[in-house]
Amino acid sequence: MIEEVFNVKLPVNESLTLRRNRFSPEDISTSTKRISIVTGIHGDEIEGQYVCYLLAKWLNSNKHCIKGIIDIYPAMNPLGIDSITRGFPFYDVDLNRTFPGNTSHFLPSQVASAIVDTVRGSDYAIDIHASNIFLRELPQVRISRSTADELIPLAEKLDIEFIWVHDAVTVLESTFAHAMNSLGTKTLVVEMGVGMRITKEYGQSLTRGILNLLAHVNIIERPVQPTTKTMVSNLHSEVFFINASTSGIFIPILEHNVTVLKGEKIGEIIDPLSGTIEETLISPCNGLLFTIREYPVVYEGSLLARILEDPKEDTAL
Amino acid sequence: MIEEVLFEISSLSRNPLKVQGFRFGRVGTTPSCVIVGPMMGNAIDQLWIASQLVRFLRQHELANAAFVKGEILVVPTVNPYSFNMGKNFWPLDNTDIDVMFPGYEKGETTQRIAARLFEKTNNYDYAILLEARKDHVECIPYVKVLESNMDAIDDARIFGLDFIHVKKESPTDTASLTYNWHVWNAKSFSIVSGKKGILRKHEANKVFDAIVRFLAKKGLIDFLTFEGSHGNLVMPSDLEAIKSTAAGLFDALANIGDSVVHGQPLARIFNSLDGTLLQTIISPCDGIISCKYDYSLIFQNAIAYRIVNVESAQNNL
Repeated sequence: MIEEVFNVKLPVNESLTLRRNRFSPEDISTSTKRISIVTGIHGDEIEGQYVCYLLAKWLNSNKHCIKGIIDIYPAMNPLGIDSITRGFPFYDVDLNRTFPGNTSHFLPSQVASAIVDTVRGSDYAIDIHASNIFLRELPQVRISRSTADELIPLAEKLDIEFIWVHDAVTVLESTFAHAMNSLGTKTLVVEMGVGMRITKEYGQSLTRGILNLLAHVNIIERPVQPTTKTMVSNLHSEVFFINASTSGIFIPILEHNVTVLKGEKIGEIIDPLSGTIEETLISPCNGLLFTIREYPVVYEGSLLARILEDPKEDTAL
Repeated sequence: MIEEVLFEISSLSRNPLKVQGFRFGRVGTTPSCVIVGPMMGNAIDQLWIASQLVRFLRQHELANAAFVKGEILVVPTVNPYSFNMGKNFWPLDNTDIDVMFPGYEKGETTQRIAARLFEKTNNYDYAILLEARKDHVECIPYVKVLESNMDAIDDARIFGLDFIHVKKESPTDTASLTYNWHVWNAKSFSIVSGKKGILRKHEANKVFDAIVRFLAKKGLIDFLTFEGSHGNLVMPSDLEAIKSTAAGLFDALANIGDSVVHGQPLARIFNSLDGTLLQTIISPCDGIISCKYDYSLIFQNAIAYRIVNVESAQNNL
């Protein structure tokens, strides 16, 4: 059932509306589990649109399997999505830095507050992001170290390539995921693909993973599949960031999602005017190249690649 | 005066980004003060104020070599690239430099800009940031003090502006320049004023006078000034946010700085297609308008005005 969860009038003959599609069993009780699938907080990230479509399509065709409530929210920043704008148009703010929101604050903060209010009470939530337009990402779940023990077992059910456990960052306390985890909704953040594009195989794979997670938490009736492929960054495997030391055009040498060796060339920064190579980027470790720059123009500091180091032996044992 | 390039960032096709500093007095002496201009490329008032301060200090130092006691550094802007193309935030990725502090020298471009600026400005006794509001409002000049820095209230009063706003920190505030200066033991202040995109000399000159007053009262310059205002303390609970209930064309009847009484009409909203009067916004209290929505088309539920409630603010005097 498609429902409106927020509506505000715009100045000229239009309304801004947030909608969800709710799938639920006929009998709902206080013990009925509920999950919210949220995407489109960043308007330039479209990968989640395809996942929402595939999930809704599956649920439409398998209503007899539904045992809990599945809410699908494809567009949390409708103005942004329809105008290729990452932030909240007009206000030029990142909606994912305004949570939990405030009804007395400016419109983006009111939208954030409405999103929290409508998702509040869900047992689980998945916030699907693409990367921005600059980077291509292997599908991954990002989890703050403070919630890792609780969320990793859940994230593993998605059978996603990689779970990145990162340190807590104060700024990230303004995100949807932090707000919902603070309210008791176990919330996973998925990042995959690249901004402004849809990577079909990632969408299909994540949809299978979400169905598996739904089965695991008893929201749909379906056999739970064993998960095998997930790598978890932990204390034994560091994530290396490779940033540009100079400005120029980045030309990757390696493909995305490959194993690299320490010392291997990842790419070059070239100068089109002089015809020279300004910098050669070398892998600092053996590992998985899970992020690669997609947009070629770089400044000093621009992120070019991220590598998940192969696990080290646990010397404490 | 010593003019120096504090740091540079190279670019593929543009001239390098140069962040310029103007140093007065004797390097390494006390008392010392750093004044940093805008990080957003449409904060014209702040650029005006900073450049006029350089002019003022240069002229007086030329006339009297002992004019500056101690050391003053003025950084008129951190983001010339955005000023030169009418952008608000960093041109390539639209990131806000003022949520990157204390910065990270090995990180993304704006993290590096933040790190270099912080390294050049974090050893002063007093630190002042000239700031424009990030939302769509114009506002009277005020000193912004974060709740964690309440010890700074007495010094904030020395500016002589009418209002000192105490702000509860959000997670993003902890990554701001002013917050991090304070953490590193400077007495730090943000002075907020004006309207983005245009020069409003009346408000800008009030801020200019306030900074000159502060420098004089703190013994940084040999200059006589008039006494300013006592500085009314405004807590978050003293501000009335007055929202639009309709969307359409916004016809403001009252302006920032106006004293208003309970029941006074502040603005009207008309249907943008047929001209019907949809709402007359009424003041809910006696007080002074501190902020006003700055665009002629308004969303429903937008904050049209903020009024300092005079009765509520009495408790802080």
